[in-house]
Amino acid sequence: MPEIKKWAMEVRMSFEKTGMAKFISHLDTVRCITRAMKRANVPVWFTEGFNPHAFLTFAMPLSLGFESLCETVDFRLLEEVDLNELAERLDKALPVDITVKEIYVYETLPNDIRWAEYKIVFNNPDELLLERANSVLSSDEIIVLKKSKKGRNKVEKEVNIKEHIKSFELTEDNGKLVLNTVLSSGPSININPMLLIGALVKDTETDEQDVDIIKVQSFTENMEIFK
Amino acid sequence: MVKKDVEKLLKKVQKPARYTGGELNSVVKDKNNVKLRYAFCFPDNYEIGMSHLGMKILYSLVNAREDAWCERVFAPWEDMEALMRENDVKLYALESGDALSEFDLVGFTLQYELSYTNVLNMLDLSGIPVLKKDRTNLAPIVIAGGPCVCNPEPMVDFIDIFLPGEGEDVTNELIDLLIEHKEKGSTRLEFLREAAKIEGVYVPEFYNVYYNEDGTIKSVENIETAPQRVKKRIVSDLDKAHYPKDFVVPLIDVVQDRTVGEVFRGCIRGCRFCQAGFIYRPIREKSPETINEQCRSISDATGYDEISLCSLSTSDYTNIEKLIPMLFDWALKENINVSLPSLRVDNFSDELMEELKKVRRSGLTFAPEAGTQRLRDAINKNVTEEEVLRTALKAFDGGWTSVKLYFMMGLPTETLDDIKGICDLAQKVVDTFYRNPNKPKGKGVQVSVSCASFVPKPFTPFQWEPQDTADMLIEKQKVLLSSTTSKKIVISYHQSDTSVLEGVLARGDRRLGEVIYKAWQKGCKFDSWDEFFDFSKWTEAFNECNLTTEFYANRRREYDEILPWDIMDYGIRKEFLVDENKKAHESVTTPHCRIKCSACGANKLNGGKCDARN
Repeated sequence: MPEIKKWAMEVRMSFEKTGMAKFISHLDTVRCITRAMKRANVPVWFTEGFNPHAFLTFAMPLSLGFESLCETVDFRLLEEVDLNELAERLDKALPVDITVKEIYVYETLPNDIRWAEYKIVFNNPDELLLERANSVLSSDEIIVLKKSKKGRNKVEKEVNIKEHIKSFELTEDNGKLVLNTVLSSGPSININPMLLIGALVKDTETDEQDVDIIKVQSFTENMEIFK
Repeated sequence: MVKKDVEKLLKKVQKPARYTGGELNSVVKDKNNVKLRYAFCFPDNYEIGMSHLGMKILYSLVNAREDAWCERVFAPWEDMEALMRENDVKLYALESGDALSEFDLVGFTLQYELSYTNVLNMLDLSGIPVLKKDRTNLAPIVIAGGPCVCNPEPMVDFIDIFLPGEGEDVTNELIDLLIEHKEKGSTRLEFLREAAKIEGVYVPEFYNVYYNEDGTIKSVENIETAPQRVKKRIVSDLDKAHYPKDFVVPLIDVVQDRTVGEVFRGCIRGCRFCQAGFIYRPIREKSPETINEQCRSISDATGYDEISLCSLSTSDYTNIEKLIPMLFDWALKENINVSLPSLRVDNFSDELMEELKKVRRSGLTFAPEAGTQRLRDAINKNVTEEEVLRTALKAFDGGWTSVKLYFMMGLPTETLDDIKGICDLAQKVVDTFYRNPNKPKGKGVQVSVSCASFVPKPFTPFQWEPQDTADMLIEKQKVLLSSTTSKKIVISYHQSDTSVLEGVLARGDRRLGEVIYKAWQKGCKFDSWDEFFDFSKWTEAFNECNLTTEFYANRRREYDEILPWDIMDYGIRKEFLVDENKKAHESVTTPHCRIKCSACGANKLNGGKCDARN
């Protein structure tokens, strides 16, 4: 049996993924960070299997096209290191639009995530959108078509996402419409903001793809900031 | 750096990171601080183009200059192209986001014939006139390099300057000259006249081609400052040649996404079907120290976890037994895998075999190329059945359970017996596995037979040979499929129409420019992709131009016929190719260059030096 290396620390890196980095898919982000760790000589713990690879745990995969201010990835370090210095080193090894915020020893687990706050900017809203959005968000049920799988078949089913909207706020800003909202997030139930956006722009002329989506913050069940 | 109007489009396309730039190690300069801007264009999608070593070398070479800035451009996929055309967004370079029309040099690499229509499409998407005759300003000058430039004639309507051979030195010389003429305010013609004086620069408008009644070439006249023949350029000493210290690291998965160590150029083998084996001569090796250092630097700068050694036949590298331990010494400690494509396992020492077992093993591939010894002798593939089986046995002992065998069909002198021989050989490999007492327990064997269609290429001994017609190839494919019933053997082959078009373009003349132009207008692009390839449009284009594919593909050329690529001097003597062709028809082999020099002539390009004979 080969010797199994023991790790010295388990840490979490929080980072922002903004600008052009929103076009990097989740899988590509994983590879990108793995390579950055190699470039920055991070003593990261590798899995011991047939195909050893850096052991990284991402809290929640971020959809392609979304920006985020609150991404996290957990990993293990083979030796005790200065985490501030490590954060600086890793930040330099990453593409410009992926910014390391902090590396720290964590106390929560990704499973603790229950809610996420999004800032959704409609760049070119049609004039009916504000009214329409207000009435949809205030109604008792918001039915959307959610894609899911039934066995091997892809099916679409109607779901009411009303209970998954914790809060919302609509503001107008220089001809843009901004929606700040807290939606269900986490391993058990996750509401993609695109579902809500689809319901809001329905019957209006607003292009649902001309929208900026920024994930601002993740929360636990008690609405404490996930860290 | 993507501009705002582009960013909007990116939300609507597949794999938007193809179009964003901003990758690690990409080079961004201030355009006001450089004298020349060079757009290096790969006429295929991002994933293919970003895998190409030549582009990485030239990108790094040009950017090492303070006075020039090289950027990358790839062919947008059809979803992006549609949005760009709809929204009037011009094709832009990834680093600056600026349209190609703002550049001084727009350079294409012609790696395969079926990418030609993409060159036209990319020029059109840039707003640069597709036809050379419609471009009247000094800039941009459209240039092209790469292996297909050994016969550039079908593309002369679209390209101002071709650079046959290796681009390192001549690119710098051309950049110097263009900067000088920009500052002088020269005309396009004044610049081209001076450019044609540089060795290894082919300015096609300085050549007039006259034809016979039967469509063959009657004569070629060089005018202005053009030499009668253009000699390809080579790098003399690979240890001193420019090599990148880092690679641009793509944000998405591309085909070849790893550190590449170039080991040597040229090939000693002399397989008669293989164009690469002739046009990259003479042999020049890099020292193991240089290769090791270059791999180290790129791995550090990229974070790649794999190193691949690159050459036409890596086990022919004289220092392979020294290089491998050098690389393994640091790479394995850092969880970096070393892969060795183009390897012949048979002549390895046991020590090296043991070393190789340390790394994750990739699939095992043999290329016997032909099914019978007679045909292997005719094509000078000096591999015997016994060698293939002995190597397979060694590999099965080492734990491999799947083997890929590469063959070709449509080779000169081929009969149906040779086709059946392919399956016989595959079956013998299967039998070798089951007769081996040391075979891996509880596992079956799989032998994948991949059969490409042979395309005769310029500067090979088969440059005069008729290519099989599509009907002949389909017939042979049927025979191949019916020659085996074993479930352990999986057979795959290529679409025959693409081989026909490839053959036509490879040995075509200037008259094909009109055909390519018409095919592109009809919508042909990405011809190397099955989902895009539409042979009926090409057939229409040929008909409209009163040309036939048969004239170019299926006709036997006489030895004394003037060939479109006779303008090019690749060092290889025509008499040598004629001899090799005659020997092929007699199934007589030629020993490889280390056993005996065949005086191909390529060493003259390097002052008489050739590393096959040191």
